[in-house]
Amino acid sequence: MNALLSVTGLCVRLPTSAGLVTVVDSLDYEVETGQVFGIAGESGSGKTISVLALLGLLPEGAQVEGTAMFDGRDLLGLDRRSLRDVRGAEIAMVFQDPMTSLHPMMTIGRQLTEHVRYHLGFSAAKARERATELLHQVRIPGPESALAAYPHQFSGGMRQRIAIAIALACRPRVLIADEPTTALDVTVQAGILRLLDGLRRQSGLSVLMITHDLGVMSSIADWLTVMYAGRVVESGSTREVLGHPRHPYTAGLLAALPRPEAAEDTPLRSIKGSPPAPQARPDGCAFHPRCQYARPSCLVDVPALAGIGDRRRLACPVDPLAVPV
Amino acid sequence: MSLLELRDVEVEYRRVGQTPLRAVAGASLSVDAGQVVGLVGETGCGKSTLARAAVGLQATTAGTVLFEDRKVSPLGRRARSRKEARLQMVFQNPFSSLNPRRKVGDQIADSMAILGLVPPGKRRERVAQLLDQVGLPANAAERFPHQYSGGQRQRIAIARALAAEPSVIVLDEPLSSLDASAQAQVANLLKGLARDLRLGLLLISHDLAIVRHIADVVAVMYLGLVVETAPTRRLWKAPMHPYTEALMEAIPRADGSGWLPEGLPGEVPDPAHPPDGCRFHPRCPYAFDRCLSESPPLIQVRDGRTVACWLHAAGAEERSPSTFAKRASAVADQVDRV
Repeated sequence: MNALLSVTGLCVRLPTSAGLVTVVDSLDYEVETGQVFGIAGESGSGKTISVLALLGLLPEGAQVEGTAMFDGRDLLGLDRRSLRDVRGAEIAMVFQDPMTSLHPMMTIGRQLTEHVRYHLGFSAAKARERATELLHQVRIPGPESALAAYPHQFSGGMRQRIAIAIALACRPRVLIADEPTTALDVTVQAGILRLLDGLRRQSGLSVLMITHDLGVMSSIADWLTVMYAGRVVESGSTREVLGHPRHPYTAGLLAALPRPEAAEDTPLRSIKGSPPAPQARPDGCAFHPRCQYARPSCLVDVPALAGIGDRRRLACPVDPLAVPV
Repeated sequence: MSLLELRDVEVEYRRVGQTPLRAVAGASLSVDAGQVVGLVGETGCGKSTLARAAVGLQATTAGTVLFEDRKVSPLGRRARSRKEARLQMVFQNPFSSLNPRRKVGDQIADSMAILGLVPPGKRRERVAQLLDQVGLPANAAERFPHQYSGGQRQRIAIARALAAEPSVIVLDEPLSSLDASAQAQVANLLKGLARDLRLGLLLISHDLAIVRHIADVVAVMYLGLVVETAPTRRLWKAPMHPYTEALMEAIPRADGSGWLPEGLPGEVPDPAHPPDGCRFHPRCPYAFDRCLSESPPLIQVRDGRTVACWLHAAGAEERSPSTFAKRASAVADQVDRV
């Protein structure tokens, strides 16, 4: 396996008023070159924290364990200076809300050239040239004039394209995209997904995609891991995980989704209850209070993530959705 | 006569030193008892402005808004009467629409006291009943909003609206801040409330997929105008406006098939400078000469469906633009062969 980024045993504890709380628990995954790896989960599942940990962007007092091997280096062991050289240059990030991730008082041109000059040592003229080329690549009309404009002069979809251009400026090898289309309309979302898909096909960019939207995952992710309450419940190829979910949580999420392709009058079946807060996660399998298949052992034992073939893994010893042979 | 009726409503925002912005440029729709009407469209199409105009939070510049046969007046300093309060609103974000410093029960009981609907001694009981109706335990009354998740808070906001004994509730993106499982729960709750209480609901949403599961009727808005209305099932079977068709094709499918949804070229134009002719023509794959100069009126097609598009004539069959296009290209092929 030629994994570009390989995360093993990642645990994150965050300080709260009630002491340290485990937000991410033994997370493993590998991102390969030119592939889109998806981390899915509802809010509070720890998916965002797990990637912020890789880039050293956690709040003061956070404890991180595990390793994150990227190009022969452990990101979690790097000092601040070395990490700063990786961040934005080799691993870049796009956030959910382009209204808050872009600086409102700085021109697009300045935001697009600042880190290019810092990381790649480009001259002002060369950085500007690169910026124009990037805006062209993400299909911003009139790139030259866009450089002098401010974020508020663009629509939400355009702003997200600009945020992607900024992230791509230093030719990163990994792009971390945290809910990049959640704030956008579906028509605009489709354009962004096609853009990301084109980038990984043409330039071999690896994308670590974080979203709660399984529809978005289905259209773009090659591999998918589903998180619940800080732990992985199921992982594998997107086709397999979404086509034949094995964990009751994944299956429940899919049944709760309005499916455009579903037959008429398919009712939305919601999962009872709501996800636990990180400081109040239940013992045993964190999903047991909401699971219709829960057995007494689920209340006590934390289910291990076990291989079930085809590079799939499942954390459910009951495995009620297995196809009988 | 419908419970809530909007006729040719226009809303214009005046702006200092700039041309006025017509956010709603003549929109009509109606909501009946027990009916869920979905109003969908992209950001900036004017759907939230129309929702606010429907409840009197936004003054209209033209057209009428009638609720239970009375004109809805813009909200002023005067308290709303019991009759006027039968039109309620639920907002998108339950984190900001609920008061963080007051107990859930007190917030729900407010309208009972203000409107004099329930005597003081019976309010606790009524609050418990309302909480039960939205699927929360009675002890929720003694707790604070922050003790609840987003979905539960939206239930509290709905209970608060129900306390005024409404006949119509306007909901502005009530589901979009919620996770998938909470979204399904609240969607099913709304559907049940409309059925059990004979409530009329006007549901504003950008998400056509969720609207399909709740709404009986869907109205599609584009750049300040309603471009298509139809019973939900039939809209889904055969969208008649090219914009509706594009909205449907852009919805991703969570089936693991790897199918990439189709985007709509271009951007929503600036509502201060709408394109001439049909407002959708610069983005429409089917646009022809007439669309560039003449704005299509909203016409009746088959039973209960309306559409504003030059591809369709009054009383026409239900056909999607793409089936037209396929047929047209098939004809072109034949012509080529001849």
